[in-house]
Amino acid sequence: MTMATSTPAISRRDYSAPLVGLGSFIACLLVVEGLIRFGLLNRFIVPPPSEIVMSFGRLFAEENIVHRFFFTAGECLLAGVMVTICGISIGVVMQRFDLLRRACETWVAAFASAPLVLTYPLFMVIFGRNAWTIIMMGFLAALPPVILKTIEGISGTRKVLVNVGRSFNLTPAQQFWKILFPAALPTIFVGIRLGLIFALINIVGTEFLINFGGLGQLINDLAERYDLSGTYAAICFVILVSVVFFIALEKAERWLRPVD
Amino acid sequence: MASSAGSSDAILVADDIAVRFETPEGPITAVDNVSFQVRPGEFLSVIGPSGCGKSTLFNVIGGLLNTHDGVVTVAGETISGPHKSIGMVFQEESTFPWRTVTDNVAFPLELVGMPKQKRVERARHFISLVGLDGFENRYPGELSGGMRQRVSLARTLASEPKILLMDEPFAALDEQTRLLLGDKVLQIQQQLKQTTLLITHNITEAVQMSDRILVMTYRPGKVKRIVDIALPRPRTSEIVGSEVFGRYVAEIWNDLREEANRGMRDEEKSVLRREEQAS
Amino acid sequence: MAETGRLRQAAVATPLISQVTLLRVAIILGVLAGWEFLAHSGWLYRDVVPSLLSIGRALIKLLSDRNYYFHLGVTAVEIGAALAIGGSAGLAVGLLLGGNRFLSKAFEPYLYYLGPTPKIIFFPVMIMWFGVGPESKVALGTLSCFFPVALNVAAGMRQIDKVLIRVGHSFRASTWQMVQKIYLPAMRHPIINGVRLGFGFALIGTLLAETKLSNKGIGFLIIQTYSVFDMPGMYAMLIVLFVLAIGANALIGRLGGLENIKRN
Repeated sequence: MTMATSTPAISRRDYSAPLVGLGSFIACLLVVEGLIRFGLLNRFIVPPPSEIVMSFGRLFAEENIVHRFFFTAGECLLAGVMVTICGISIGVVMQRFDLLRRACETWVAAFASAPLVLTYPLFMVIFGRNAWTIIMMGFLAALPPVILKTIEGISGTRKVLVNVGRSFNLTPAQQFWKILFPAALPTIFVGIRLGLIFALINIVGTEFLINFGGLGQLINDLAERYDLSGTYAAICFVILVSVVFFIALEKAERWLRPVD
Repeated sequence: MASSAGSSDAILVADDIAVRFETPEGPITAVDNVSFQVRPGEFLSVIGPSGCGKSTLFNVIGGLLNTHDGVVTVAGETISGPHKSIGMVFQEESTFPWRTVTDNVAFPLELVGMPKQKRVERARHFISLVGLDGFENRYPGELSGGMRQRVSLARTLASEPKILLMDEPFAALDEQTRLLLGDKVLQIQQQLKQTTLLITHNITEAVQMSDRILVMTYRPGKVKRIVDIALPRPRTSEIVGSEVFGRYVAEIWNDLREEANRGMRDEEKSVLRREEQAS
Repeated sequence: MAETGRLRQAAVATPLISQVTLLRVAIILGVLAGWEFLAHSGWLYRDVVPSLLSIGRALIKLLSDRNYYFHLGVTAVEIGAALAIGGSAGLAVGLLLGGNRFLSKAFEPYLYYLGPTPKIIFFPVMIMWFGVGPESKVALGTLSCFFPVALNVAAGMRQIDKVLIRVGHSFRASTWQMVQKIYLPAMRHPIINGVRLGFGFALIGTLLAETKLSNKGIGFLIIQTYSVFDMPGMYAMLIVLFVLAIGANALIGRLGGLENIKRN
């Protein structure tokens, strides 16, 4: 580990590190391409990256990937709305009644670390092999972080703001809606962001597992048809969608929290 | 730039040290043309205003900063990294919170592979030296700030360095603890005849403990003056009250005041500059 | 605080059973009662909500079945292997990225943005590479737990008090000594947290893969109960799974917590 304490010149934004990262990634792809073309890597196990890229076109033309994208997005949206309403409500109630909070908060935290998505066979029995199972999986996975962050946000309101409200003799309801809740919004949004990410991951995962739905089901379908490059391409597409979604949520959070 | 030390018997020689940094605001020279020597058993303090490059100098001599001009030699050997004859005591809290006092102090001995029994024995000796008997099995979290600094000191002393290099080790402590710890360090130094180089901004501390004081200018840090402190040894903190002590302090403050003022004005200017750039 | 407080406070009787415990018991009893009511109401398709008795019977049957422990062992070994491989890879990569600012800026964004993505969709690829046996499950578990461990370790390294690193350098510790005696102990909390997260993800990844394509393991057993509509059996298995998962998570956390006694 180097011990330089004098800092090198960084007057403008230094792009050398991100370029090295990107360059290494591209270099890896080229190496894989080369290994396959020279027969060192079996092309029936790892298709050449060039073929994967070309399969993207097929996905759009033949496999209805856009339609599937909107289907998955719709499931996420529904799960998101459900978890926002339920999660925040439960969180508010739990924060309001301290005894309830002390009794149940650790339970919620425990469920956050439990493999909730493994109950999908159970939900398949209850709802059938359809979209509701998928939406419920997203909903359940997203619930704990929203609840916990709502509680954290409201109880974390700076004491001085609470005192300002009391100095104006606000009723408890006014205190909540005018001070506590707005002050908690940034933290609550962090919870929703986390929840939405978990929801997406579990929704796509469940679609894959039960072979129903949009993007996840596409991957499963292509895999069962032994369409190698198609499978890889679909996986890449889904990863791309997840990453874009994640970045969008981060930007949204920064917009909501300009002072930090 | 007068040096009053003899040259042939010096154990530490700093020759024409200069350090330059690149910052977003352009290149700055932290330290320029600094030369001095330290005799064996001597206590030399380096004092200067904030921004005079004292900590930079500390890192250069300690071997933690190698991008500099000039040469530092210890007992004839040129330094190119942390040298085994130099022991460093840092300004910040530096005890390992997950180790007991004994394990902290034994750390340098562990690194060189000393067997456990011998390590613990040796560590006990130095723990006793800094006056922390009875706290061998405590964790740093259970001790006060002053006690933790004593642990850091004991740890460095345990490596038995030829030269003890300290960077404002008492900066975070209150004045009274500082004076008493200064006493302790003085006592140890006199007992071990430990060559010591102390970096500080505290004039009282410097005069209390040193044989000589090197006064630095504000950035770029140069040697402004070297003052011989002809106070009798052995010394204790009682000497702080004497008239002769007061005169030394006044003399050094005279030198420092000018530099400290330059420092303050410079800081104010850079704050204004930053505000202009931001708007 | 003790002396004046004691003088002023009226004696507050500490109840034998705290209110919190009472509420928890009440909630649990309420849920169980509601469940039993639903089971006998006939509103839902038979056995979707089986009676508590039948679930209890299935639990006993499960826990006394030697075969179950075989499958549990298979899954445990898979998860263990996934955590070992993914965890050590994550540790190594995390140490590398955390210790070097350039590498961190070059490569860590990839870990950060590729981390929160569904990993189960990689299962077909794992099957192609590793076959249909336990290796593909381990591979998926490894992929799942690599990211949280690496990111946590990298972040943990950056949070180490810088002065401790300088202490190590000032005593001329070798790189290995730095890692063993300074970096790792200083990072024990982020590492434990990373392992906790990693375990959770390895568990999920491995089990989901087992439900998709396997003939051994807990995931396989759960899908079996689904295909024969053995609902009490499914509930029993899920209960045991959740108890084990939450228990293991708490255990790892406690291991980290034990260190709390030493920390200041």
